[in-house]
Amino acid sequence: MDPESPQEPMLAQPEALAILEALLFVADEPLPLDQIAGIFGDRTPDEVRCLVEALNGRYTGEASGLQVQEMAGGLRLTTRPDLASWVQKLNRVRPARLSRAALETLAVIAYRQPLTKAEVEGVRGVSADGVLRTLLERDLIRIVGRKPEAGRPILYGTARTFLEHFGFKDLTDLPTLREIEDLLAESEARRGTADVAPASDDSTSPDRESEEPLVSEASESPDPPTPHAS
Amino acid sequence: MSYQVKLETFEGPLDLLLHLIRENRMNVLDIPLAVVTQQYLEYIKLMEELDLGVAGEFLVMAATLVHMKSRMLLPPDETPEGEEPPEDPRTELVDRLLEYQRFKEVAADLAAREAEQGLRYTRGGPPLVGEVEGPLSLGLFELLAAFRRVLQRAEGGAVLEITRETLDVGQRLLRILDRLNAESPLAFTALFEGQRTRAELIVTFLALLEILRRGLASARQAEHLGEIMVYRALAPAAPEAVEAAVREVSSAPS
Repeated sequence: MDPESPQEPMLAQPEALAILEALLFVADEPLPLDQIAGIFGDRTPDEVRCLVEALNGRYTGEASGLQVQEMAGGLRLTTRPDLASWVQKLNRVRPARLSRAALETLAVIAYRQPLTKAEVEGVRGVSADGVLRTLLERDLIRIVGRKPEAGRPILYGTARTFLEHFGFKDLTDLPTLREIEDLLAESEARRGTADVAPASDDSTSPDRESEEPLVSEASESPDPPTPHAS
Repeated sequence: MSYQVKLETFEGPLDLLLHLIRENRMNVLDIPLAVVTQQYLEYIKLMEELDLGVAGEFLVMAATLVHMKSRMLLPPDETPEGEEPPEDPRTELVDRLLEYQRFKEVAADLAAREAEQGLRYTRGGPPLVGEVEGPLSLGLFELLAAFRRVLQRAEGGAVLEITRETLDVGQRLLRILDRLNAESPLAFTALFEGQRTRAELIVTFLALLEILRRGLASARQAEHLGEIMVYRALAPAAPEAVEAAVREVSSAPS
């Protein structure tokens, strides 16, 4: 069967699911929906999303240890979060968590990008040199250009690893600032700490209404998300 | 005392102001400048005494606060007909504080997401990342506030110290870790038991900061201004890490 020929009858679901699973297994980076659709040849990206839901449904039904997560502009096969303690026995080193200063700096850059070091420092009131260097090293931010003003200072924006690190599908997936307040109120009510396992697995089911990712390649300059002042 | 805790720039003047506002249960929209300025200066003084490397930004903010305070003390000029009354000198600062507060909330949300996402593993896992400086799990100013209380309580019985003893932050660091291994968690105040001189108290505090900064232990505060509890790290600290810590703090020129 030639996957490129549009004349071919649609692959039956079980076969398509198997192919999807195989592709996701081999990929070591988030696999964009368009790319998967292109490989199938007989399905649109939205239909691929339906396949993902079906695959996740099967995994849940089988109590599988795997899940398909949509993030950073594509799909990834990941282990179930509640199995983390088992997987850790493989001695796989995880990157250390980010410091508060790094998180705050990232927050400013994520919602205000692109912006200069001076602008970042203006918000936090402290020098950002060290933090920016760390974030650049960890590929969480990148240089997106220079500001056309005196001195032509460097402009920073988030990099694709940023999306993966925090499990965002794309930049529009960032919660609006009002949603942040609600989320925090909620988690405070639950007395949750950052170490508590996720209460729900919403992050695994692809969101039908989510828009096409703004960033498909790390090299493209993303549109800044509109910070919603509330 | 010339041992300097390298805090980089975790916390700045805005952090300190937000801390003071919370500690005093003030309304950020109506900050009593005189009180805030006075406390702010006290903290700066303590930080300088601890050699915490008060960055220039802190001093700029101090000057700003004092300036704002003086503006508010001046009698208001007669506002000429039809003109806007002069702006509250605090407005710009309040706007900055509110904005910063907003981003702190975002950062908290990001931290939660980071933790959630960290529970998932993929093939071809994440690249190994070198030791990254751990966060001070409790804010610096919360720790400083607690230390201030310890100092104030000790004031009553403190012996004025001109002691020749070389007070070693490294040794104190080991002592604290030993105690934590025997019993965890330990109350913050318990770490200072039996110490009477100001220098001793300071050495203990600096040792604790180093321990926290390196992730050899963590500190938590159940409620704001409540007792701080120090917890042994979940993974027992590698002997090399502890040795390195002691070596680094002891090698500071004195």
